[in-house]
Amino acid sequence: MAGRQGAQRPNGATQGKICQFKLVLLGESAVGKSSLVLRFVKGQFHEYQESTIGAAFLTQTVCLDDTTVKFEIWDTAGQERYHSLAPMYYRGAQAAIVVFDITNQDTFARAKGWVKELQRQASPNIVIALAGNKADLAQKRMVEYEEAQAYAEENSLLFIETSAKTAMNVNEIFLAIAKKLPKNEGGGPTQSRQSGVKLNNEQTQQSEGGCCK
Amino acid sequence: MSRESTPSNLLRSSVDGYGFNKGENFDHESYDEFMSRYISVLARRASRWQALIGHKTRVSKSRKVKRYCRKGIPSEYRAMIWMSITGAEARIRANPNTYRNILLSQRDEHLSEPITMDLHRTFPDNIYFTGTEGFRKPLNNVLVALAHKNIERGYCQGMNFVAGMLLIVLKDEEKAFWLMDTLINGILPDFYAPDMRSVKAEQELLGEIIRWKAPELHAHLESIGVQWFLIGTKWFLCLFADVMPVETVLRIWDCLFYEGPKILLRVAATLILQNSSKLQACKNFSQAMDAFKEVTTSASCIDCHEFMKKCFDELGPFPSAKISKMREECLKKIY
Ligand SMILES: Nc1nc2c(ncn2[C@@H]2O[C@H](COP(=O)(O)OP(=O)(O)OP(=O)(O)O)[C@@H](O)[C@H]2O)c(=O)[nH]1
Ligand SMILES: [Mg+2]
Repeated sequence: MAGRQGAQRPNGATQGKICQFKLVLLGESAVGKSSLVLRFVKGQFHEYQESTIGAAFLTQTVCLDDTTVKFEIWDTAGQERYHSLAPMYYRGAQAAIVVFDITNQDTFARAKGWVKELQRQASPNIVIALAGNKADLAQKRMVEYEEAQAYAEENSLLFIETSAKTAMNVNEIFLAIAKKLPKNEGGGPTQSRQSGVKLNNEQTQQSEGGCCK
Repeated sequence: MSRESTPSNLLRSSVDGYGFNKGENFDHESYDEFMSRYISVLARRASRWQALIGHKTRVSKSRKVKRYCRKGIPSEYRAMIWMSITGAEARIRANPNTYRNILLSQRDEHLSEPITMDLHRTFPDNIYFTGTEGFRKPLNNVLVALAHKNIERGYCQGMNFVAGMLLIVLKDEEKAFWLMDTLINGILPDFYAPDMRSVKAEQELLGEIIRWKAPELHAHLESIGVQWFLIGTKWFLCLFADVMPVETVLRIWDCLFYEGPKILLRVAATLILQNSSKLQACKNFSQAMDAFKEVTTSASCIDCHEFMKKCFDELGPFPSAKISKMREECLKKIY
């Protein structure tokens, strides 16, 4: 359970704002999306993590100074044909983690594709982080840190190398995203989630703590 | 949830009859309670089936067999009945070399690579799928052969769990291949198509069925942002394998193989409707998502006998013609 600082349940410990954000994980199959989420949410790692079918929904809360940030996480399936389902998950997301596997160049190419698609089709203010996962397998590295770093800079992405296996930088990437997300805007983060919601539901949404108060 | 070493705890095996590790969340209480009742049901069903089948090695379809399938096929007959009522058995006899030939022919890397990646990610908690012995290699063969036989469709994640379950029951990769091929090409809507249109439509259809059967619940769920495609992708792609308790999945498949895919909608609708007060009480989206996770694993899903009864008795009218028409409408809505 090492390295779980920052990922705490909101036991009323903070009296500050509560913000809720929708975050989506995208990336080729088997790069470790589910593993990153499992590490972040439960502090666990499974050598044999089941393939994700469709997508899985999880939540986790982190505390940032006086703000409690609740992530609603969509862990999507990576297989190419599931691509057509992806927009349903990233639509209205405030944050995305695009994951690749540092031991596999193809997954990096695929990650770039995802970034492009998000830049074109997701919410304009979406915070995108690029995760070079499986950093523990440095001896099999095929994607150089500098290469990914340069790409991330060009595209104004957060970039961190992670390891779901050793827990390296896993909480950090979520925290970095939490820091970058706007927490004071009147617009409120969750509004955009349900693009189809009728206006008269807006009120219940607000009183739910859907945005900062 | 006490975990003292009472005699009954000591007797509890950590692995179920199908090789699945029960895991820390396994509801032993409900399971033991259910099993003590279900054992006599199984015994009764077994003697009925025995009277029906005698020494035959195949059965033909009849009202009686249909009724029997709804009440559950005893495990000793399951493989034979599935193969026979689906016609998969006849297809093996008509194509005795097909499976072997496909496996001997040139492989397309593009098709087999994603399969390789899923081998150790299919039922990792099942003793037959850990290590290199057991069903991993047969699973690979079945999926590779299916992908090559149905090139257009290729391999779709989700098929791994269905094929894995078939291997557990049939214990024969050629049979698993033919049964799955029959399922994909003859029984199911085109769930595994690369465009995923059918599986999206099926979820819309589930939503429409809920709107029809429980309009208030439907309105409530939509008002908190639940969209149907978020609920059922895995339900339909895996035909509830790896979603519901194993025994229940097999009972669902007993009906699926005889009657076709309407049973999947019955199951999905029953899961939702039997939890309607819980779902209705959800105040926001993430509560609803958590509640949906629980609907497939609750104690009422463990009692497969009662659950299957419910699927048939408590949904009210569920006419095939209407469902098919609704499905057509839903398909039209998906680009
Ligand atoms: N060495 C190492 N292995 C990892 C790491 N993260 C994940 N894995 C392994 O990589 C495999 C795939 O991980 P998943 O988390 O299932 O990958 P995914 O991206 O969710 O895959 P899909 O669900 O198919 O899209 C699993 O066997 C994990 O154990 C890591 O940081 N280091
Ligand atoms: Mg996954």
